[in-house]
Amino acid sequence: MIGVGNDLRGDDAAGLRVARALADEAEVRELEGEPVGLMDAWDGFERAILVDATQSGAAPGTVLRIAAHEAPLPPEMRRASTHLLGVADAVELARTLEKLPPWTVVYGIEGACFDTGAALSPEVESAVGEVAAAIREELAGA
Amino acid sequence: MSRTKTIRTDYLARVEGEGGMTVKMRDGAVEDVQLRIYEPPRFFEAFLQGRDFREAPDVTARICGICPVAYQMAACLAMESLAGVEVEGQLRALRRLLYCGEWIESHTLHIFMLHAPDFLGVHSAVELAAIDRPLVETALRLKKLGNDVMRVVGGREVHPINVRVGGWYKAPTRAELDALVPELEWALAASLDATRLVAGFDFPELEQDYLFMALADDDEYPIDRGSHLVTSHGALFPVADFYEHVTEHHVAHSNALQATLDGEPYLVGPLARYALHHERLSPAAHAVAGDVGLEPVVKNPFRSIVVRAVELVHACEEALRLIEHYEQPPEPSLEVLPRAGTGHGASEAPRGVLYHRYRLDDAGTILDAKIVPPTSQNQRMIEDDLRAFVGAHASLPDEELQWRCEQAIRNYDPCISCATHFLDLQVQRL
Repeated sequence: MIGVGNDLRGDDAAGLRVARALADEAEVRELEGEPVGLMDAWDGFERAILVDATQSGAAPGTVLRIAAHEAPLPPEMRRASTHLLGVADAVELARTLEKLPPWTVVYGIEGACFDTGAALSPEVESAVGEVAAAIREELAGA
Repeated sequence: MSRTKTIRTDYLARVEGEGGMTVKMRDGAVEDVQLRIYEPPRFFEAFLQGRDFREAPDVTARICGICPVAYQMAACLAMESLAGVEVEGQLRALRRLLYCGEWIESHTLHIFMLHAPDFLGVHSAVELAAIDRPLVETALRLKKLGNDVMRVVGGREVHPINVRVGGWYKAPTRAELDALVPELEWALAASLDATRLVAGFDFPELEQDYLFMALADDDEYPIDRGSHLVTSHGALFPVADFYEHVTEHHVAHSNALQATLDGEPYLVGPLARYALHHERLSPAAHAVAGDVGLEPVVKNPFRSIVVRAVELVHACEEALRLIEHYEQPPEPSLEVLPRAGTGHGASEAPRGVLYHRYRLDDAGTILDAKIVPPTSQNQRMIEDDLRAFVGAHASLPDEELQWRCEQAIRNYDPCISCATHFLDLQVQRL
């Protein structure tokens, strides 16, 4: 289970918070979304779950679940910029290079505020609990 | 009657509303180019006030996931200069080695994954992987090597935890560094091939008469430190005099400050380092620059990809040299005692000069901090480039023009984490 985000950027910490909630129940990594690190983190695993914050314009706290091994990630999961490649790029790159785990699920949590130094929004705080519970069920059903 | 046409792209978006770029055109001529930048360093400057001087390297490393070492080094150097401590010998060699790891990571990401697709007719690294899998696999392997250097020397791949004011918490053993050598030797050969490859790309025409600035330190190609700053106008001044030459201006369209050097827009980064210091490149880097016909001063920003590749060669060869001469130091760090006053430090982040200034009280508490990242220094120059470039290509269809503008911005490898978290680009025809 890989939580992606930045603790210092408000709701961008959502993925990291889910990872911390599950630290005793799964093999957990906290990453910033750098693609080589991500590809390394899931290399050799049969199953991977990623959680990242999204900003698609949906209501804050909206949870998205995508079976990434079945289809490409939607544009709102993209984190690309002139400088960074992100989760969606890492997943698509891994797919092209045949390095994606055969079962890969990506959760997105819609953020409201990504300001430096901001706290987690209440809607995102509750979505973090919701996603952690959903992942627990996925793990139990494995 | 005037018609406004706005084209907007989300390709760069991560966090909307923070920054972006607008190009306004009227009757086919460029009327205005504005780059809006959001700057986390302002938050960190405030965050550092009241903290112990020894916390600055770890706190400022959090500003950027791509160039944390640049921030750590500039912070350490500022604190050490104030205390009158000079970190030399193997302690300093390790700093340069760690920084080589960061250059390898950052330059590889930019050359192969972000910049090369522009010249190979694809829109992303993912598309590139589909048409040239070996090239992307080479990039991933180079990037992983950079990560490995960071992990072995810095203790962690992102945000190294082994760096401290005065040196290190723990110095790596000779055997730990030797284990990096085979992969570094492969990387040196791979980066030479990459230089030849990218030098053969077709480059859009654009020549700019840049004023360059880079660090200078003895007879070295500047990476981890520099006692002075040197400019292509012949100025040479100590790092401590940074603010006597560089002025930061507030502009209405951006919450970042825009910098000028002695009143003029200027450029920091690979083109500047290469123009001012190419004779100090490592032997293989110097030789390949000549082989691929790189002139002593590169004025076409699109060719920065070739200069980055030459610097990648330099970083690999320099890392090998540092490891070859390494002896584990008896103590991992020097003692640095707090002293009241103002300390200055600067290092060459992959994208250019990064300057830190701290004022401390006699207990070592930070009274104020100033951080000037490379992208805000280059901001005026990026706008000038876009004005010149868009003016010459105004007749292109909007979509093509927008893609060209994105390329022009990518030439500068702008640091989204330290200066812009994302760019939203608009072309308006009025």
